[in-house]
Amino acid sequence: MTRTWLRWLPAAAVPAVIAAGALAGSLPASAGDPLPPKTPEQVLQLIAQHREPALSGTLEQSSALGLPELPKTGAGSAPSGTAWLELLTGPHTARVYRDGPDNARVQVMDRLAERNAIRHGNDVWFYNSKDNTAAHAQLPADDAGDTGRHSAGSDVTATPDQLAAMLLAKIEPGTDVAVGADVQVAGRPAYNLVLTPKSDATLVGSIAVAVDGQTGLPLGVEIKARGQSDPAFRVAYTSLTLGAPDASVFTFTPPPGATVEEIPVKEHKHGNDAGNATAPAAKDRAGKPAVTGSGWDSVVEFPAGTAGPASDATALLEQATVPVQGGRLLSTALVNVLVLDDGRVVAGSVPPERLQAAAAQK
Amino acid sequence: MLCALAAIPILIAVAVRVSSAVPAGRGPAFLDRIAQNGLFVGVTAMVVSVPLFLPLTVGVVAGDTIAGEAGQGTLRYLLVAPAGRIRLLIVKYAGAAVFVIVAPLVVALTGAGIGAALFPVGPVTLLSGDTIGTGEAMVRLLLIAAYLAVSLLGLSAIGLFISTLTDVPVGAMAATVVLSVVAQVLDALPQLEWLHPWLFSHYWLDFGDLLRQPVSWDSFAANALLQGGYVAVFGALAYGRFITKDVLS
Repeated sequence: MTRTWLRWLPAAAVPAVIAAGALAGSLPASAGDPLPPKTPEQVLQLIAQHREPALSGTLEQSSALGLPELPKTGAGSAPSGTAWLELLTGPHTARVYRDGPDNARVQVMDRLAERNAIRHGNDVWFYNSKDNTAAHAQLPADDAGDTGRHSAGSDVTATPDQLAAMLLAKIEPGTDVAVGADVQVAGRPAYNLVLTPKSDATLVGSIAVAVDGQTGLPLGVEIKARGQSDPAFRVAYTSLTLGAPDASVFTFTPPPGATVEEIPVKEHKHGNDAGNATAPAAKDRAGKPAVTGSGWDSVVEFPAGTAGPASDATALLEQATVPVQGGRLLSTALVNVLVLDDGRVVAGSVPPERLQAAAAQK
Repeated sequence: MLCALAAIPILIAVAVRVSSAVPAGRGPAFLDRIAQNGLFVGVTAMVVSVPLFLPLTVGVVAGDTIAGEAGQGTLRYLLVAPAGRIRLLIVKYAGAAVFVIVAPLVVALTGAGIGAALFPVGPVTLLSGDTIGTGEAMVRLLLIAAYLAVSLLGLSAIGLFISTLTDVPVGAMAATVVLSVVAQVLDALPQLEWLHPWLFSHYWLDFGDLLRQPVSWDSFAANALLQGGYVAVFGALAYGRFITKDVLS
């Protein structure tokens, strides 16, 4: 009998070893070299003084906004109209290459497909492998630095430093800024700059920016909703190599057989046909939105129609919204959007009751 | 069975050849590229066969290993030879592994061959939009076949274990195939996200990472580690079961 049990020993031992290995791997690696303590101002300066570095890395973005998740179908491809919604729900991985201000490439890696944004000098290319389409824009020489930086990253997945710059610009009296315990991002020790809104009315619980201790490069952004333990939105490097990537990464010629579209230069929001016009872009187009309130609990109001979603996404939007008094409500962990029956849209990072109150004021 | 697998790329190629142009972005990935470049027949055939056909044939082969001998009543005689049960188990698994290596190769090479015969062959466009020459494209094609071979090793180990449980080969085959389908269904449900990295089918369709520029090896490594784990666990289970089994047939 004992011999029989002895023979089952490997079958018991192997899963135990694997479980132990998995457990050891999942434990957070302790920071071997603690960073010197810094005040929030010093960390902000560290960010401000960092130069556009040469780097290649992998970004991972995940969000738990409370939107319904669509099951991933294996090899099939999502219709492009819902692609932007899909960017908000599931996790995404992107590879980022950068060399100075003029060379950048972002590859959003989908299953059996890829979306590319490449900037080389004043040429900006977008390529979508799903329908084999490319789009090209020639930047004017003068404002190239600004637009290129903008379009290379924010078009598909914002790089942490762009997101951080955007968030840090919003620092105002209504926010508590603190430096939390050091974190490890992509294997590098980083300062953890935590912004906490003072107002109770907003849905945002806290925003944490991981800042690389050596270079000041923002490595990750984590937005937590009030009362949520898991971050509602998170983008961070999972691997990062400083140093210039191979120059061939930034050269792009449209492949034979691809549909190439030339984008007029004056348009800053490049309509990559993956439908990457995300919510902020839509707001920009809507003309002048009226803002009530200030700081974190401000409410934006703009007429619908101009910001109307693409027609094939409307059905999805219908499903995602719930009818409330006076309109339909799209509720996520961070932002509530109220589409009123009279055609106005009221949005804000506040509870729905505040939106309704703001809508009633008009 | 290898002939059945080889029929997949041939069917795809002929269907695309006789039909009108495939609109971009419709159907299985890469289908619209075939008419421009025959080498994509191999890739498309692998995309199509990964969810069902490859697991089906691997399930049949792996499920047949021990149970097939038991069903025919020849297992007793094999064990009479002074080779030992461990050795028999290893040889049987090696046989299944050889099939696992050959099967994706057959799909890839038949696909490339029939594609070259029916369509023009030229520089290949990668997912990243870069183009590579035909020689390098063949290397990538073989890499994908290797990726799929690694992907299916875990399933064949599961099949081997199930095969030691029963004397009915059909039961072992069916159970293995059903497991592969169940794993893929579970993998498609976002509500079970915590489970996904542990499913042996999780990385099956990630071979597209080999078609990027530069090649992303992360999924290859993760897949190899996962499949190695499955081979270790189910190899050990099969060992425990087969060594202690009373062989009556």
